[in-house]
Amino acid sequence: MTDPDKTPPHCMAVMDQMLDDLAHAPVPDVPDAVMARVMEDAMAMLPPPGGVVAPVAVPWWRDMLQAIGGWTAVGGLVAAAATGFVVGVGGLDTVSGDAIWSLGTGTYYDGSGALDAFGWDFEEG
Amino acid sequence: MTMPLDTDPHTDDAHLLARYAKGDAAAARALTVRLVPRVHAQAMRMLGDQAEAEDVAQEAMMRLWKIAPDWREGEAKVSTWLFRVVANLCTDQLRKRPRGNVPLEDVAEPADPAPSAEAGLQTKARHAALRQALADLPERQRIAVTLRHFEGATNPQIAATLGISTEAVESLTARGKRALAHALKGQIDALGYVG
Repeated sequence: MTDPDKTPPHCMAVMDQMLDDLAHAPVPDVPDAVMARVMEDAMAMLPPPGGVVAPVAVPWWRDMLQAIGGWTAVGGLVAAAATGFVVGVGGLDTVSGDAIWSLGTGTYYDGSGALDAFGWDFEEG
Repeated sequence: MTMPLDTDPHTDDAHLLARYAKGDAAAARALTVRLVPRVHAQAMRMLGDQAEAEDVAQEAMMRLWKIAPDWREGEAKVSTWLFRVVANLCTDQLRKRPRGNVPLEDVAEPADPAPSAEAGLQTKARHAALRQALADLPERQRIAVTLRHFEGATNPQIAATLGISTEAVESLTARGKRALAHALKGQIDALGYVG
């Protein structure tokens, strides 16, 4: 295969001549119908006065808020959570402080029961 | 009296495009009058076919209208952007054409022996062969060669268009022309050029 880098100089001159001939070849005027078609496209795609307003990026949390029903729904959720908390804490007070230990899974030491039993057992001999 | 937008040299294409993007119909008219003849002439040179050149001109302008709202002034020249779009659309068109349809034998022995008819056929065949060879060049070489010869662009202008150094432009156009010479090797004499 011929190496294109070894092109003889006269071929390069011919190339220049060919390219210049093509560049100077007469070109017909643009038909009016083409100008009309281009204008028609331009008018069909003409943006509204003032231009197209780019959409503003909405943060993810605002999307989520909308999905659950907006600020009203959030207010309801907060009220329900607060009520649940108050009811829960109040319920614990009416039973005893020890009841909280029953929520755990581990064993715990019942001090009062053990002391009572120890006292009676000792007296009975 | 105010000057029409398309003839006002102080209103550049990018400014008109920005006005079009804001819904200015007068800017669309001005851009059409300014740019379509150039775009059409470039397509005609590259394709040599009136109907195809008209379609390419319309498609290129359609792309310009579409990109108008996103156009950022100062990043590129509208005319340069359009030149590239047209060059690529023409290349796609040329690559779709069937190969080897340049009737060189008709050039050597024309049906009509009158010199003008022979010369006309020869010119037609020469241009067709060159267009096809241009379409086969890598994009950057093709843009550099056509900008230089069709638009009369200088090396710094081509460099700015392609985003390369001025020295690289020289090498790119030389490689492009060598590749053209290589592609047309053997046809140059038949096409009526004497080396």
